Amino acid sequence: MKAAEGAGIMATRLVFLSLVFGAMSVSVGEHLTTSEVPPKRPYFVDCRSPEQETFSCWWSAGDYQNLTGPGALSVFFQKNRDVWRECPDYSTAGENHCYFNSTYTSIWIPYCVQLRSQIQDIVYHQMCFTVDEIVVPDPPVGLNWTLLNISQTGQHFDILIQWEPPPSADVKKGWISLVYEPQYRAINMSDWKPLEVERARYQSVYGLKTGMEYEIRVRCKQTASEKFSEFSDHLYVYIPKVPTKETLFPFTMILIFGAVGVIIVLMLIIFSQQQRLMVYFLPPVPVPKIMGIDPELLKKGKLDELNSILSGHHTFKPELYNDDLWVEFIELDIDDQDGRSNHSDTHKLLGSENLNGNCLNIKDDDSGRASCYEPELPDSDTLDRSQAEAREEKASLLDSEGKAAHSSTADPSPPGRSHPGATAEGASRSHPQIQSQLSSQSWVNLDFYAQVSNITPAGGVLLSPGQQSKIEKTAEAHSSPKTQKCQLAMTTDSAYTSEMDAKNISATPSLNGNEPKVTVSPYTVSEAPASSVPPVSDYTTVQAVDSQQSLLLNPSTLPTKGTPMPAGYLTPEQLNSIMP
Amino acid sequence: MRQVSVLFLVLVCLDLEYRITSAPICAHGDAGCHLLSVSDLFDRVIQHSNRMHSLSSDLHSEFEKYFLPVRNQIGRATRKCHTSRILTPNGKENAQRTDREELTQVILRLLVSWMDPLLQFHQSVAHNEELSNFSRNKALELSDMVHELKNGVEKMAEKMQLLGIISNSLNGLFPAEASLSSSASNEARHMRDYELLRCFQRDSDKVQNYLKILKCRIVPEHGC
Repeated sequence: MKAAEGAGIMATRLVFLSLVFGAMSVSVGEHLTTSEVPPKRPYFVDCRSPEQETFSCWWSAGDYQNLTGPGALSVFFQKNRDVWRECPDYSTAGENHCYFNSTYTSIWIPYCVQLRSQIQDIVYHQMCFTVDEIVVPDPPVGLNWTLLNISQTGQHFDILIQWEPPPSADVKKGWISLVYEPQYRAINMSDWKPLEVERARYQSVYGLKTGMEYEIRVRCKQTASEKFSEFSDHLYVYIPKVPTKETLFPFTMILIFGAVGVIIVLMLIIFSQQQRLMVYFLPPVPVPKIMGIDPELLKKGKLDELNSILSGHHTFKPELYNDDLWVEFIELDIDDQDGRSNHSDTHKLLGSENLNGNCLNIKDDDSGRASCYEPELPDSDTLDRSQAEAREEKASLLDSEGKAAHSSTADPSPPGRSHPGATAEGASRSHPQIQSQLSSQSWVNLDFYAQVSNITPAGGVLLSPGQQSKIEKTAEAHSSPKTQKCQLAMTTDSAYTSEMDAKNISATPSLNGNEPKVTVSPYTVSEAPASSVPPVSDYTTVQAVDSQQSLLLNPSTLPTKGTPMPAGYLTPEQLNSIMP
Repeated sequence: MRQVSVLFLVLVCLDLEYRITSAPICAHGDAGCHLLSVSDLFDRVIQHSNRMHSLSSDLHSEFEKYFLPVRNQIGRATRKCHTSRILTPNGKENAQRTDREELTQVILRLLVSWMDPLLQFHQSVAHNEELSNFSRNKALELSDMVHELKNGVEKMAEKMQLLGIISNSLNGLFPAEASLSSSASNEARHMRDYELLRCFQRDSDKVQNYLKILKCRIVPEHGC
């Protein structure tokens, strides 16, 4: 047991020691080998055949300086694995060269050359090859150039370069076939630009710049080989810059014509698009809009519209009823101050023929009244046509609670206006004229304003009895049944009355306000009630709208003397009194 | 039938040419000679041989890179080629001193001796996966090229014989060549690819140079 243990221990120790020694020896050996650098032995630098007929080899002595002198080393060669022979010529090719002339040269035959010491017969270096492998031709000769052309601008030129094959190479008989590679560069540049490798003995160089000096060189090699020759002698090419007038002339002319053309085009554009350009560059300053007159209307000659506009103002009392008499009848009544602003309301309530549906719902803004105006219609037509419209508009008027106080409605037919607030003078003035116009009609109420005296369940609006005085005057002229109708007609807005008058006359006499056709009836105050009805003020606030769609008005303050006839609203008491 | 008629016409023409020209061998610059056609043939053949040689050089360098990465000048594989037996002029002067007929014969011998080995090479390359497609395509071309070149040289030799430029002593050689080539091809089988290509590169260079020398002697040109 103990012996076995002891043996084991010994074995391990031995192994360990041997390992250590081995490592040491290895390290020592390495140390020994790496510490020394062996001197470089003499060696063959290269062997070369310039024309595949002769060849030569040259060597270097390496670090052996004592062997650099002539005769210190010798060259032996073996041709086709034959006997070894010494170099035939040490001198022709130069120092450290061994030259083999054509008698010693055989192509396609393996050669071996050895570099041996003179005395000790030590072989320093050996090289084996065949002559066709070591062919490196001489550089080409006779490099020259000819000018092909100069560009029109005089900036660039092309040349043709030519050269001759090396004289040593027998290219004529075809013993060697060479390909050439020319290279060129500008003198101040560092990179040579190679051209194509071709068999031809000339090449063109394009795109050289005048005023710059160029360098050109050529080298060659055997077709199937990879070894190029040395470069030929450099060729210098230079063509001075000659700026000619002719070169400048076309450019300037082109510039001038181009500029002129561009200017012409711009002018054309500007002149054709003048308006748009003006708007673009000088946008129109927004002019403050004056509420009321739109000068466009004046231009278009829409007198009726203008009439209605102007009627919205206090200072104007339109008294014209057709375009022909426009100029004659316009009279501005300065005294009429009150109630003028009610014109628009009254018009709506009365329902002028040409109420435009659009206008009713438009809130008046300062955009002028042109938007509300339809193209003008002849007076007679509108009278007939807009009857149905008037009914609808009346209903809508009643529904809306007096909105759009100033939205004027087109009223091309002046005869339709009743003017409650007109002064006596105005009324009297208008009356005879109106009467002359409307012969069939007996009422004289041509005022713009009429006061609403009552509102029927049917949706009709009764005019105020304040007008009756005027009406009564004319009512006497008519027969009783007719009078009634006439009265019916009279009290209303002239536009409506005229129509209704005609209808009432033709139709069965019925003063029933409930008939839908006889819309005039609501307006009529058939009985000539005593003018005990107190004058009603122009404005009355609407208290409520009852189920029957009639407005319940607040009792308004009594107007003072001299106030124009109210074109406002009736109180319920008045309403009751009026209603038959 | 058409082909036969064309061939017949060609032969007749050739025959006519032969009859018209009285002089069997053309002197320098004779106008009545038909050297122009021979010259064209020569040019074509030389072109072909140039191409063959460059192809073989490329292939050889590629194969050497592949299979012999360490290229050492010392002790290079200078194994004998199977065509070493064929005596060839080994220099320019030697080639110039050789007869036209012999030179033509040498060319033909070389070409014939390579036909079989290259065919084997073709087959081995076709199955070789390691080569790139480019190399393989080039290698596959070789055998065809040799074949074509050999045919071209044969036709040219026939033409020259017809024109009397060379004597008719060539005809007896061809059967002998066949026997030579068979034994040589056996040898070639044992060579490695790159060695084979090295040998072929050398031989194609020979063929190329001999053709050029021959042309210079037969078709007198400026400086030849």
